[in-house]
This record gives sequence, structure tokens and C-alpha cells, in this order.
Amino acid sequence: MRIISIFFMAFGLSVSFAQNKQVIYGLDEVPQSLLLNPGTLVPQKSHFGIPFLSQVHFNGGASGVSTFEIFGNSNVDINTRIREKIFEMSDKDFFTATQQLQVIDFGWRSQKDIYFSGGMYQELDFITYFPRDLAILAWEGNRDYLGYEFDRGQLSATGDLLTVYHFGANKRISKKWTAGVRAKIYSSILSVKSTNNRGSFVTRLGDVNSPNIYEHLVQNADVKVQTSGIKSLENTTAGKVVSRAFLGGNLGVGVDLGATYEIDDRWRASASLLDLGAIFHSKDVEQYHATGDYTLDGIELIFPPLSEGEATLPYYDNLEDEIERELPVDTINSGYTQLRPLKVNASVKYSFGKYLGGVECDCLDKGGIQRIQAVGFQFYSILRPKGPQMAATLFYYHKLYKFLAAKATYTVDPYSYTNFGLGVAADIGKFNVYLAGDNIFHYGNIAKSKSVSLQFGLNIKIDPE
Amino acid sequence: MKKNLLLPLTVVFSMLLVCSCVKDVDFDQAQNITLTPVVELDLIYFNLDAGDFFDTISNTQRLTVRDTTEIRFLDDTGVQESLKRAEFLFNFTNTINREFQVEFQFINEMNQETYYTSTTVSAGNVGNPVATQFIENVEGPEILELTMADRVVVSVTVETIDETVAGELNLQSKTTYYLEIKDRS
Repeated sequence: MRIISIFFMAFGLSVSFAQNKQVIYGLDEVPQSLLLNPGTLVPQKSHFGIPFLSQVHFNGGASGVSTFEIFGNSNVDINTRIREKIFEMSDKDFFTATQQLQVIDFGWRSQKDIYFSGGMYQELDFITYFPRDLAILAWEGNRDYLGYEFDRGQLSATGDLLTVYHFGANKRISKKWTAGVRAKIYSSILSVKSTNNRGSFVTRLGDVNSPNIYEHLVQNADVKVQTSGIKSLENTTAGKVVSRAFLGGNLGVGVDLGATYEIDDRWRASASLLDLGAIFHSKDVEQYHATGDYTLDGIELIFPPLSEGEATLPYYDNLEDEIERELPVDTINSGYTQLRPLKVNASVKYSFGKYLGGVECDCLDKGGIQRIQAVGFQFYSILRPKGPQMAATLFYYHKLYKFLAAKATYTVDPYSYTNFGLGVAADIGKFNVYLAGDNIFHYGNIAKSKSVSLQFGLNIKIDPE
Repeated sequence: MKKNLLLPLTVVFSMLLVCSCVKDVDFDQAQNITLTPVVELDLIYFNLDAGDFFDTISNTQRLTVRDTTEIRFLDDTGVQESLKRAEFLFNFTNTINREFQVEFQFINEMNQETYYTSTTVSAGNVGNPVATQFIENVEGPEILELTMADRVVVSVTVETIDETVAGELNLQSKTTYYLEIKDRS
């Protein structure tokens, strides 16, 4: 139970972004907005992220339940609340945890006016869908569900710990277009995946031909768990695990693409495609695959005539052997390819208000003509095992001073319809600091939020003279 | 105007982030989380012929037939801790014109009996099966005795029989396990 409480604390307390970083996207004052759109407008001449501090981001979220709904002070028994939630949630609900730490991040503008950027970050990404039927089976048992087919296919989870090495280029290719591309090498440290499972379990009353009262049936079972980097964990040293972070693990390649189109001095559109790639797991791989059908009727006693002291038949062993034969779990060591969760960002922005600096000019010469206020719409999607998860955001941007910009967001996503976010980015001398969070109205009591977020970073940024 | 509003808002927001907290929750409640599944599971079944009680080679009665099976999960530590009640249902169908005494001896690894129950099965007739239902409810201190066992010895005894007696004694059975799973650390 302690594990359960830690689980809920982790999901409820983590101050973080869900995968969607809607506040930072398009906030060009933050150098790390390049990681969300390699084709964004880059105003600075160069930047260097403070190692381990240029972007720190933890994530936690549960689409169907908040910590408060389970652990809030209440006269209702906690078990009643959990039971109600189990039945309220669907197998489309999910729990996620994502964490990113930028280890190194840098960028500079070349003489050919290309902004090169690169770096390395570590990422933890975990999602599990809520296996509603299995939760009901565990919570209630099968007595009240005779004839009901518990769906094992609801079991769907992935977990990855990896490092990403990246290098990208960004260029304003015309008056209206800015485009960028980023190449990525993934070095997987640990990976677990169990998706696209099938099968059901049902207990039903036996008919006249059944040998016993019930029939317990496992039907069309096809359950697969793919792991890499896990098998050797018991017999490996911390040093070896760490070495996987430095290209010593299973490697993969990917690409980020992005572009910004300045329609006129007020309208701007942008889009990006992130993590279009795959990891090729070949080392330290272990896959488990269970398939088959089986009907359990209990144990048949045949009362064999025995001499004194002679042992009877090993009924229980035979039953176990039969189950293993009919529902074999194959262990496979062959490699497999895992697609990265593809993310899509898109936005339309309308600028208004006074010009930055008070006059109409392309003052920075890199980011078009800037007005001090803007509103817009953003779309975000991430490809998950059971299909894409999407979010829509309305935002308001205001450049308060030349050194200080703020962005407010309202987001509708699988977690809630009341997600308000706010971010500020400041250039203090050569230091660039930013802080962003969503679900800000829940900060008074994070427990009531289904996902809360905080993201911050510190860079050294050199602007054009 | 907006500038005037946004700056204090920014400060308040930053303060919120710094001062954000979790209120009105009690994680100690996790200690009270209890899963109470009720599990229906087939147990044993058999089909004894009247001839099984008479050895035609030696022309002698086998008044008691006996068989044993392991129920390995029964003395599992998790089951010992979590099982609060077990209700056995035995459905006998008898077409043998004899009454039977059926005993269930639950024994542990040391072959010591930890729990015992028995019932009498009514006599039937070929063509006129007679059903006998026997329910054994085990709870309280007895559940500890039951979960010390890892096998059950089933003995079926008839008072007298001869080779002319025909028919079958059939048993179907299941157990309803009432579990209470919680953190006991």
C-alpha cells in the first residue's frame, strides 16, 4: 500500500509539465523553445545553457483521477472512493510521468546566418493506461462477474529512460520562412514496453457437459512484454548502467523538423514534428510472449488403486504443466525496434499593440517585426500506444519590457478543461532565466490537480549588438 | 494597464510556485486501503463408478477409496494473511443405491491434519439420480487451520457393497474465497 501512496504522491505532487510544453512553445525569448520547434525564430546570437540547469522539467499526470480525490480529507472511506474511481475511469485513462534534464545545451549563429544548436538531455518517459477490467478483477474478484469477459488487452504501458544527443540548424530562408532541422541520436538506458495485447478471462457456469461447477477460460491470450537493459540489471554495476547514457546503450536515430511562416507583420504560423525516429534494441533484450487458450475446470481425482505407502498422481503438478503447455510464455532474445512517441506542435499567432522599441523595424533582424502583444492558438499531439493524445491552447503574449516577456495560456487536454498556465522569461544582463507552469490555479493545493507543472531554466544568452 | 496587471501577476505566480503545497490530504489513509475480492474457483471433481468399490479380481469390497491432491496455494503466506473466509460447495449426484460417507482431510507438509470436514451423501438409483449439496463455511480461527494445509485427502466410504451394485457417484465442487488484502507491514 505504501507503493500505492508513493505512486499517487508522485503523480499528484510532481510539479511539472505534461509532455505538452505549451508555455515555452513559440516563446522565442527562451533558447530551449528551439527544442520544441527547430524552425522557430531565434533572436539571439548565441546561447549556452548552464549545465544541468538550462532546462529542468518533471512531469506527472493522471487523466482520470487526482490525488485529492483519493487521499483528500473526507468522511467517505478511502476504499469507497477508490472503488468509485475504478468504475468511473475508462481504459482510455492513463497515468504518465515524464522528466527531462538538459545536461548540455548550446547554440550559435554562423557567419552564413545559420543558427546551429546542440546538446544532450536525459529523458524519462512512462505511460500506463488504466487496465480497468484487471483493476475490477483485483478489487472485486470474479464472484459478481460470472460470464463477464475481463479484457487483458487493456494492459498497455511503456517506460523509457534514455539520453538524447542532438544537433540542429535553423535558418531564416526568406523574408517569410524560417525553417530548421535537428538530428538526434538516442541512447537507451532502460526500456519496457507492453502494448497491443489481446485476450480475455471469463468465469462462467458450466453446462451439462462441463465436468465441474465453473469453467474458467483464458481466451485468445496474446500478451507481450519487451524489455531492454533490464535483464542484466541484477548483475551489472552502476557504472555500466551509466555508460549506456553515453552511447553505450541501445542506439536509435531520429529527427525534428520545424518551420515558421510570417504571413504579414501581424500573423505568424508555425509547426513542428518532434522525435520522428526509432530506437533499435539489440543488446540486453528480453521479450516475453504468452499466447494460447485454456479452460480450467479444477482438479479431477481418479482414485487409483494404490498399495500401502504408494503415492497418488501428482494432480497439482500435472495441472501446472498443462497450463504451461497451453499458455506458454516464450522468452525471446531477438532485438526489436521501438518507435519514439511522435509529437506535433502547430500554432497561429496574431500580434498587436505597439512595436517593440516604439518604432516599426525589424530591430533584431532575426525575428521579424515584433509587436509587444500577441494572441494565438496552439495545437499539440503526442502519439501514444492507444492513439494520439491532443491538446488545444489559447495564449496571450506580452513583452512587458525589453528584458521581460510573459505568456499566459489556457489549455484543454485529456486532464482537464481548466488548465491555465503562465510563463515568464527575463534577460538579466547576459543571463536568461525562465519559469513556466501550467494549472497555476491549483498551486494553492496541488493535490486537487490531475496534472501540475513547472519548468525552469538558466542560460547565458548573447544578443546581437 | 496590462503591464501594470501582469507584473504583479508575475510576482504572485512566482510566489505561488515557490509556496505551492499539498493541502487537505492525508496519505496515512493508504494504510487503510484494503482490497476485498471475492474469488470463485473450481476445486475438485470426480466420477466414481460403483465398480470402483469392489475388486472383481480378488472378489473383495473396497469400502473406502481415497485420493489426495495438493492445493499448493492454500498455505501460501499471502493467502494465510489475506484469506478471511472460505466457503466450499460440494454438489454430489448419486445413482448408486448406497449411502456414502465423504471425508475431507486437510493436511500440512508434515502429513498432520489441520482441518477436517465430512458429509453423508444420500443413496440414489440408476435412472433416478439423487443430489446432495454440502456447504462448508470456514472462517474465524478455523481459517488459520485450513490455511496451514497444502493438500486435501478425500475419502469416500460405503458401508457395504457387492458386484451387482451399479451406478455412479459424481462430485463437482468449488470454493468461494473471501480475501482481505492490505498493507500489514
